[in-house]
Amino acid sequence: MTESKNIQGRLLSRKHLLIFGVLLIALVLLFLLDLFLGSVRIPFSEIVRILISGEGKEEWVTIIYKFRFPKAITALLAGVALSVSGLQMQTVFRNPLAGPYVLGISAGASLGVAILMLGFSSLISASNILNIGNWAIVSAAWIGSGIILFLILMVSMRVRDIMTILILGIMFGSATTAVVSILQYFSHETALKAFVVWTMGSLGHVSREQLQVLSFSVIVGLGISFSSVKLLNALLLGETYAISLGLNVKASRILIFVSTSILAGSITAFCGPIGFIGIAVPHIARMIFNTADHRILLSGTLVMGGILLLFSDIIAHVPGYDTILPINSVTALVGIPVVVWIIIRNRKYAAFS
Amino acid sequence: MEYTEPVLLTRDLEIGFVLNNHKKKIVYSDINISAGKGELVALIGRNGVGKSTLLRTLANLQKSLSGEILINSTDINELRRIEAARVISFVSTEPIRIANLKVFDLVSLGRFPHTNWAGRLKQHDRKLVQEAIRLAGLEGFEQKPVSEISDGERQRAMIARTLAQETGIVILDEPTAFLDLPGKYEIVRILNDLATNTGKTIIFSTHDLNIAIHRADKIWLMLPDQIISGAPEDLVLTDRFADIFKDSELQFDVHKGDFLLPVDFKGKIGLSGKGLARLWTTKALERIGLQVAEAGKQENIVAVNEKNGIIQINLKTGDKKNEFSSIYQLSLYLKKIFSR
Repeated sequence: MTESKNIQGRLLSRKHLLIFGVLLIALVLLFLLDLFLGSVRIPFSEIVRILISGEGKEEWVTIIYKFRFPKAITALLAGVALSVSGLQMQTVFRNPLAGPYVLGISAGASLGVAILMLGFSSLISASNILNIGNWAIVSAAWIGSGIILFLILMVSMRVRDIMTILILGIMFGSATTAVVSILQYFSHETALKAFVVWTMGSLGHVSREQLQVLSFSVIVGLGISFSSVKLLNALLLGETYAISLGLNVKASRILIFVSTSILAGSITAFCGPIGFIGIAVPHIARMIFNTADHRILLSGTLVMGGILLLFSDIIAHVPGYDTILPINSVTALVGIPVVVWIIIRNRKYAAFS
Repeated sequence: MEYTEPVLLTRDLEIGFVLNNHKKKIVYSDINISAGKGELVALIGRNGVGKSTLLRTLANLQKSLSGEILINSTDINELRRIEAARVISFVSTEPIRIANLKVFDLVSLGRFPHTNWAGRLKQHDRKLVQEAIRLAGLEGFEQKPVSEISDGERQRAMIARTLAQETGIVILDEPTAFLDLPGKYEIVRILNDLATNTGKTIIFSTHDLNIAIHRADKIWLMLPDQIISGAPEDLVLTDRFADIFKDSELQFDVHKGDFLLPVDFKGKIGLSGKGLARLWTTKALERIGLQVAEAGKQENIVAVNEKNGIIQINLKTGDKKNEFSSIYQLSLYLKKIFSR
């Protein structure tokens, strides 16, 4: 009895530590495997040597440091950021099918990029479309999602009911998507293709300077997320209980929306909209860790998100072939079975109210 | 009047909502009620009279329209949100069924207003959570998910959470709804024990009048035009309960302490017999619409006798005599006769 009392309420049980250990080892292995795959075959031992000492065949060092390493890091960051923001949205909206894009962040980013690529295409000649700088696309996406975030925050200051906010988020998203469709309808073929390629997502177009910006944004976003674990735990019980526990619900929501937007917004800006990871991963984490405590769940989701996106990226490389599949399709194919499974087992793993 | 300073007191409180067009929708006004330390208060009233709004206002979940709520002589509006959460805790009617949320974790959420930014539980907090679980009778349930325990156990877990919150006042909105009869009694017994043993002021709304009358120290009877408060017995003796369902057929039975539907009697019948057998035969006869009188001069007479679990009933109707071995048979026969 005394022993069980000591275990009660301890943050990490031995079982949780074990799971974290296994997941971290899996994460490192998948990261190395991700570096291993590509059109140029580099022996695994060489990769490890290059990573540790920074020395090796010059060509290989360049490939690893200039291309594969940034891409693997991008995959890791994207997985982590999207999953954590998905977890936050599921808790805040008390809805198992909420994800990082439920606030319309991806729709906003698409609009920004669509206006840049399609809207301006009538002003500049079609051949110049592909010359639009990477930074320009990133900025357009950021501005787009920022505007949507601003609208959502304005709404959440005034409206208390979380379902109203959810519905308005979806409506903003749909309206933006409609505008994007109109732009697509009137745009040139080349511009349209460039835009469609952007919507398929890519982890490989992030340059080293951009990676610094991306890492910084994700770290800031995660910092806010980790500082709001207590708020998330309280919000789990719904608004009434959260208030009765002394929580400032509006301020907490805004804080959580801001971190979600920084996380999901930056990833979308640099990599395009990557779907389903954000919805699926929190459920996997809940199931593996068998807890609703966000102090454990947030870290679990974070690690699991990295694992799942690295895994998707490895699949996207179709090991053994030289083709690369669009990452968005792969995450959908990996994520959808999970979501389907959630719906079927709804009562047990995703009941929120 | 008051022997002790009330823990909770309202002065000319007006409750309701402010609508979008800044107009007020008043639900109830001129509320002057109080609750003392260690008191179990039952709030009783018809659906829609404003019980939930009153409780939510007292629990600081919504603002009052005017008037004052004093908690230990301090105006509730002067308390910061977190300070209020340290003096009042609340259990709503909303059921909590979050998958993977363990009873221990649910109860430890009650420590929210007392812990640091990360919600870290210290040894002291853990002890309090464990003690709260014990007081709610949930020992051994710590690691069970709240989605997989019974309604009554979940309600007790919610009560344990308020205990972990260490507030002097606990407010519960219909804690006995959805529960079966033993469940209802169990919850109210726990509330009664807590009020008596821990000195908390516990306020709950309920439709289970009978339980409230037997267990509550004080009743706030919320009628459409005024709130009458007092010991349940005071309200029974002054016949105030009858006012709740004034416009319905229900009548308050001052002996039973509960509401009954009045019966139109189709006839009279004499009854002889003793003890429980007589009592329950009376109930059966009244149910089928017969007024029970002393055997003496009646035309129809039932004689009931019970020995070692065997029931023996003799019925004399005019010159005819019948014998029955159960009340059911008797009632079937009587129904036939009196329907003619």
